[in-house]
Amino acid sequence: MGVFIQSSAQISIQEPLCNNYVTKPVLHDEPYVRAIECDYKAFIDPISARRMGKILKRAIAVSVTALKASNVTMPDAVITGTGLGCIENTEKFLSAMTMEGEEFLQPAFFINSTHNTISSQVAIYLKCHGYNNTYSHRGISFESALMDAFMQFETGSAASALVGGDDEMTPGYFALLDKLNYWKKSAGGPGAMAGETAVAFVLSNEVSPVELSGVEILFKPTADEMNRRLTAMCERRGISIGDIDAIFVGRSGDVDGDRIYDAFCGKFFPDREQFTWKKLFGESFTSPAMGMYVADELLRSDRKPLLKHVLVYNHFQNKDHSLILLSKC
Amino acid sequence: MEQLILDLKQQIIEVLNLEDVKPEDIDENASLFGEGLGLDSIDALELIVLMEKNYGIKLRDPSQGKQIFTSVKTMAEYVAANRTK
Repeated sequence: MGVFIQSSAQISIQEPLCNNYVTKPVLHDEPYVRAIECDYKAFIDPISARRMGKILKRAIAVSVTALKASNVTMPDAVITGTGLGCIENTEKFLSAMTMEGEEFLQPAFFINSTHNTISSQVAIYLKCHGYNNTYSHRGISFESALMDAFMQFETGSAASALVGGDDEMTPGYFALLDKLNYWKKSAGGPGAMAGETAVAFVLSNEVSPVELSGVEILFKPTADEMNRRLTAMCERRGISIGDIDAIFVGRSGDVDGDRIYDAFCGKFFPDREQFTWKKLFGESFTSPAMGMYVADELLRSDRKPLLKHVLVYNHFQNKDHSLILLSKC
Repeated sequence: MEQLILDLKQQIIEVLNLEDVKPEDIDENASLFGEGLGLDSIDALELIVLMEKNYGIKLRDPSQGKQIFTSVKTMAEYVAANRTK
């Protein structure tokens, strides 16, 4: 039984809830840009929205948009990956603890400071009583959610799933990471451009133009281990590594991190076409969700009609590596 | 009392993040919970924090809450009679 991508939606530092980035990309010069918001009143009434931070509003907006674009009215599962969850409300809660001497703490900020708020709030909004989980594993949070969904399908526990990847970047967290030289200070130097991610995919076992053919997560893999897992993933789909037509690599402009992608592509795909997405969408813990979004969009379009199998490859600090295999049906 | 009622309305809007609601939209005699503003139990906790933080009032008897938080006006009357700051 296959797992197929029915629809998707994104809110990011590109125009929201559309694919205008293909023809009219929003170009950013600054290393820190917040997401371009949509009109959330079209999705959430003000009374319901009053306790939601930006990340929850975005997660609901992309979820509803993706569901409307699919023929799935109620998913069997809602699964989300997020590196930091509702960090904006977490910061407010922690700041209040510090400023007020651990008194006068506002409950709404506390409620939204837990990571699993995202999937649960989406499910509450949708009135979905199915399987519900939120994964928070730094740079492989989205892939963990995706793998969970994949296994839900494989075991027959779900016939449809709403899978999301959501992360917000607050000024405070950006500043903290900036001290670690995480963000780009000069062209050609270390560091990446920050981004914010909110992506939702509707998956189901009904055949669609794009199949999610495999997901692999690896921790500090050797070249042999990478080769073995990549080969095994392809074989499960009935193909070989040589059948992969193009690679979507998580190059962010960070010279140190990009060397890993150079080595990977040089070893396994020296002559294959390469695509990137982080120059348009920035870096975040769940940016691989953006990579899968871009790959799915390209497979559906007629811009590259010869593409059949594409691989999305990302690594987080050269520790956590992920492979997502998509196939055109 | 009028100024206190206005202050409370502004503080309620701020702590409950009631976007698009203006102080003049809130009827000081209308019910805060249920049909009026439609607040719920989590909002009640936010109002308890507001009372303590802004007016130094600690609500020790939970059963008092229902009466105190009936409306903005009853809140204002309780604040005026019990505030320590």
